[in-house]
Amino acid sequence: MMTEADYYAFFDDYLQDRLDAPVRQNLERRLAADPVLAERLADYQRLTGTLNAYGQRLRVSDKLRAIQAEIDAEQEEALETGRPGMPVMRISRTEQWLREFWHGHRATMGVAASVAVLAVFATLLGLQWWNAHNQPTTRAVQYLSSKVDKLAKAQQKDRRVMNKVINQIGSTPPVAVNPGKFSGTGFALTADGYVVTSYHVIDGADSVIIEGRDKQRLRVEPVFSDAAHDLTIMRVIDRNFHGFGRLPYTVKRRQAELGEKIYTLGYPREDQVYNDGSLSARSGFEGDTGFYQISIPVNPGNSGGPVLDDRGNLIGVISSRQMDVLSTAFATKSSYLARLVDSLSAAPHPHTYNLPKQNQLVGQTRPQQIRKLQDFVFVVKVFDRD
Amino acid sequence: MGKGQPSYTDEELLAGIRHGDDRALAHMYRQYLPTVIHLVTQNSGTEDEAKDIYQEGVMVFYEKVREGTLELSCQIKTYLYAVCRRLWLKRLAEKGRYGGRLDDFEPYLETGAEADLVDAEERDRQFALMSEALVRLGEPCRSLLEGFYLLDKSMQQLTAEHGYTNADNAKNQKYKCLVRLKKLFFTQYKEEPLS
Repeated sequence: MMTEADYYAFFDDYLQDRLDAPVRQNLERRLAADPVLAERLADYQRLTGTLNAYGQRLRVSDKLRAIQAEIDAEQEEALETGRPGMPVMRISRTEQWLREFWHGHRATMGVAASVAVLAVFATLLGLQWWNAHNQPTTRAVQYLSSKVDKLAKAQQKDRRVMNKVINQIGSTPPVAVNPGKFSGTGFALTADGYVVTSYHVIDGADSVIIEGRDKQRLRVEPVFSDAAHDLTIMRVIDRNFHGFGRLPYTVKRRQAELGEKIYTLGYPREDQVYNDGSLSARSGFEGDTGFYQISIPVNPGNSGGPVLDDRGNLIGVISSRQMDVLSTAFATKSSYLARLVDSLSAAPHPHTYNLPKQNQLVGQTRPQQIRKLQDFVFVVKVFDRD
Repeated sequence: MGKGQPSYTDEELLAGIRHGDDRALAHMYRQYLPTVIHLVTQNSGTEDEAKDIYQEGVMVFYEKVREGTLELSCQIKTYLYAVCRRLWLKRLAEKGRYGGRLDDFEPYLETGAEADLVDAEERDRQFALMSEALVRLGEPCRSLLEGFYLLDKSMQQLTAEHGYTNADNAKNQKYKCLVRLKKLFFTQYKEEPLS
C-alpha cells in the first residue's frame, strides 16, 4: 500500500520525467481511469506550483530591492561627490524633513490654504452685507451723497449735463410731438440785436429763430457760449432787422440781495407767462456760486428767460430747476453775464456790445414794468440738425 | 541609466525577462522608474512610497511575463504606468487621503492592467496563505521546504544541513512534509471563500 508521500515521490518522478516508459504509460492509464488519483496529482501540482511561484516572488523581490539599492547608491554618490565643477548639494536634516513634509502634505496644505482664503473673503463679504442690512440710515446717507457726488462731477464737467440731470426747463425733450424743434426763452441784451438765452437751449442747434410778441420771426446765430454758466449770446442776422429799440432794463453787475422780490417773463407755452417769487439763495445747485436759487415756479420753456428785481435790473437768466425739491429753480447770475460781455468787448473782436445804460423801469408798478419789458422777451425756437 | 548600457527594445526586454535575464529586468527597472516616482510624488506620496509602488508594479508585470500570460497591447512604459497608477490609487484610498483624482503625466489608456491586478491580488492571497501554512507546519518541515522551494537550495545541501544520512532520506522527508503542508494549505484555502 502506497502512502500519500509515496505518491508524491512518484508524481515528482513523473513530472520530472524520470520514469521508465512502461511505468509512465501505466500511470497515465490509471490517471485517466481514476479521478481520485487525478485530483491528487492536481493538488500536488498546485501545491508545488504555488511554492515555486512564492519562491520566485521572494527572489525577484530581493532582486528588485537590490536594483533599487544600486540606483540609490549611485544617486547618493552623485549627490555627495558631485561632478567636477558642479557645486556639492548638501541638505540639512531640518531641510530634508521639511522637504519630505512638503512632499507628503502638499495637497492637504493646498486645500487648507484655499479654505483659509475662502473663509477670509466670505467673512469680509459677510461683514459688508451685515453692515449694509443693519445700518439702513448710514446706507441711505451714503447713497444719497454718492448720487450727489455724481451730480457734482457732472456739473463740473459740463453744465449742460447737470441741467439734464436736474431738469431741463428750456427745452422740450427730443421725443416731443414736434421732433427736432426745441424752444426756450431769450431776451434782448443790446438794442442793436444781441440776444441772450441759456446755452442748453441752443446746444447742438442747426438753426435758431426768435419770435417776439408781434409774431415777427428773426433768424439769429450764436456768437458766444459759456457752457459752465449755461449762457449763450446770439446775434440777429436778418437783413431787414433794424434794432429792438431802447432797452428798458439794465444788467446788474453786483450780486442781488437775499429775499429780493423778483419776477420773470417767459414762454413755457405759446403765450408769454409772468411769474414772481424771491431770491432764495446766492448759490445754486450744490453750492455753485455761479447761480442763484430762486423761488419762482418755472416750467420747461422758461429757460433763458430774464430774472428782474423790483427796480427793473436784470439779475439773472433762468437755467434749471431741482426735481426733488419743490419750486426750487436756479438762475445764472447777471454778474457773470456782464463779465462775459466785458471780456468779449475787451478781446480783439469786431463786435461791440452797447449794454443799456439807463433803466426805465425803476419806480414803476409791476404791470407797467411788464408792459415795457414784454417786447424784449422772445421765444427761442431751435431746429435740430436731424 | 548609466553610460555604455545597451538599449533594449520592448520586444528584447520581454524576451530577456521571459528567459530570466536579470540584466533585462534591471534595465527595464531603471528605465521606467522616474515616471512612476514623478506620478507618486506629484500626488502626495514620498519617494520611498513611489519605490514600493514601483516594485509592486514591476512584480505584477514580471510574474505575468514569466507565466507567459501577459497580453501587452501597448508599450511596457504605459502598462507599468497604468499598473502603478492603480496601485497608488488603492494605497491612497487605504490611507484615506484619496481626493478622487490623480494628476496624470502619461496617457492613461485601457491596458488590461486592471484585470492583471485582480489576478495579482489573488496570487498575493495565495502566497499569504502559503506563508501562514509554512509557519504552522513547524520544524524541521518548514526549513526543509523553505530551503528547497523558496531558497533554491539543492537536495545535497539540505541533506547536510538537516543531518540526514543520505539524499533519499531527505527526499522522503520532503514528500511527507509536502503532504502535511497540503492539508494545512488547502484547509485554509477552502476556509476563505474565493472572491
